[in-house]
Amino acid sequence: MDFVKRRILTSIAVFFVAINLDFILPRLVPGNAAEIFAGGTKLPSNAVNLLEIRFGLNQPLYVQYYLFFKGIFTNWPPYFGVSFNYYPMTVSNLIAQRLPWTILLIASSFFLSFYISYLLAAIGSMRRGGKFEFGSLYTSILFWSTPAFWVGMILIWVFAVYLGWLPVFGNIDFNPGSGLAYVASVVFHAVLPVITLTAVVFGQNYFVLRGAAQQALRSDYVLTAKSRGLRERTIAFGYVLRNSLLPVVSLLGYSLASLLSAVVLVESVFGYTGVGDLVVDAIINRDYPVLEGTFFYLTLIVIIGGLIGDFVLLKLDPRLRR
Amino acid sequence: MTTMQPSAIRTITSKMFRRRTARVGGAIILAVLVLILLGPFVTPYAPTASSGAADLPPSYSHPFGTDFQGHDVLSQVIFGAYPSMIVGVLAAVGAVATGTTIGIMAGYYRRMEALLTGTADVVLTFPPLPLMVLLASLYPATTQLIIVVLILVLWPVSARSIRSQVLSLKERPYVESGRISGMGNLEILRRVIFPEIAPIATAYFVLTVAAAIVLVTALQFLGIGNPDVVSWGSILYWAQQFAFYHGDWWWILAPGLMITLVAMAFALLGFSVEEVMDPRLRASAS
Repeated sequence: MDFVKRRILTSIAVFFVAINLDFILPRLVPGNAAEIFAGGTKLPSNAVNLLEIRFGLNQPLYVQYYLFFKGIFTNWPPYFGVSFNYYPMTVSNLIAQRLPWTILLIASSFFLSFYISYLLAAIGSMRRGGKFEFGSLYTSILFWSTPAFWVGMILIWVFAVYLGWLPVFGNIDFNPGSGLAYVASVVFHAVLPVITLTAVVFGQNYFVLRGAAQQALRSDYVLTAKSRGLRERTIAFGYVLRNSLLPVVSLLGYSLASLLSAVVLVESVFGYTGVGDLVVDAIINRDYPVLEGTFFYLTLIVIIGGLIGDFVLLKLDPRLRR
Repeated sequence: MTTMQPSAIRTITSKMFRRRTARVGGAIILAVLVLILLGPFVTPYAPTASSGAADLPPSYSHPFGTDFQGHDVLSQVIFGAYPSMIVGVLAAVGAVATGTTIGIMAGYYRRMEALLTGTADVVLTFPPLPLMVLLASLYPATTQLIIVVLILVLWPVSARSIRSQVLSLKERPYVESGRISGMGNLEILRRVIFPEIAPIATAYFVLTVAAAIVLVTALQFLGIGNPDVVSWGSILYWAQQFAFYHGDWWWILAPGLMITLVAMAFALLGFSVEEVMDPRLRASAS
């Protein structure tokens, strides 16, 4: 189980680097930590004093380091302090409120983009060099080059402002109702953000799948399958694509990382109150505890996603177990 | 710097530009360079001064219309080209130089492999935009800082693939014969490995420019740095706040199309270099 051990060790290392970055980065800024943490905020001065004491911001660095780690590891949810902008809400509660929305977006667009690139690569592998392959290659290069926020703005323009089919803003109506009406409201608000995310992300998957599919096409087992007279579709889906999945799955963590980058922009454009929108909100309000907390949770999502990918990979490819 | 084999580079370049995609990409980049060099002298309006009525739709005197303050959008797009592109290009130079050096080291020297690939894995785990946002919100977001942060985020991609290339190159017989004929490690790296790696590094450079430009405009769009400096990203930063309300769709359209066009031009160039080197990827239709 060398592979598993190595992956888990790497994940733990990444986790610790992330926490340390979270501690170090704000404190490298010249100036008094307490001032930086509370500078330019609307906090009353007694609240600033309380924060100072709670984080030991006026104490030596090693004490701060101890308190920081204690806050994260001895509390559930991990304690990153109190948001300046949403005072007195704790960072973790704030993120917990918004995380489900972000997960809804990234999960739907992840599966959608995966499915689209899978289909494109499969059909392309049946008709190598045809118009279809040409078209899907250049479409994915086009979308790969388009900034996510701009796609979002254009979609808002066309479908929400001009055609008025879908809501312009937010993740749910003010009075969403209950039951089916509630679900419909959530879905209607999620359509455009999910399309935007899918559009900018599917290209990456497609490039990887296509490269792997072309390698698989020249392999002995595909040749054998062809000589056995199997149908083209069976070969494409059962043989070529099946074996091209491995590199895509092994890049799961990486594609999650780029998806989370795009989600920050997309949520900001659509005013979708998830974690990504919170990041942008926190920059504007210099809400450092929230920035630290979101960075921590987003990295955690990538780490966990990467590990899930590794275990799926292990299931798909028993050779790794050696 | 090194004894590059000019003939090899020339063959790849000429092969590459035989592809229509590379020619299209090259032409777009050339056109934008001309725009950056000459554009500011021929634009009739200043990008930050009102040029007349606000919210004008595209017309002969304002091909891309005007925004809610009467700025000519075409002039803004022309003036915004330089700040949008220079950061991306410089960051890509830095990122690929770093990535190539680290990739070669990690592939060639056994001892450094674990450390360097470990670092690359760690960096790749961070979602790039939130990391950049965190850094740029803590420190004054100068252009230099943004370039450094982009380099930090982008180097591992090229480092990884160059490392695996070096790993396989290292086992080739001509490396062995170089060693037998008394070449030192540095000499082998310089005269045998590097010329083989150079085209891949070039492909990564071009692709990284595309990725960097998209990331830079994203930062500008979020208002990181100075949103009053006219760039493609900052035009959209203001457009997001006012264009919908004023009904100025043309204000959104032009800068986004330029970002896409330029990033796609670099991507097309990069993919054609890759394809020329790796015939497996060739789509016969292109």
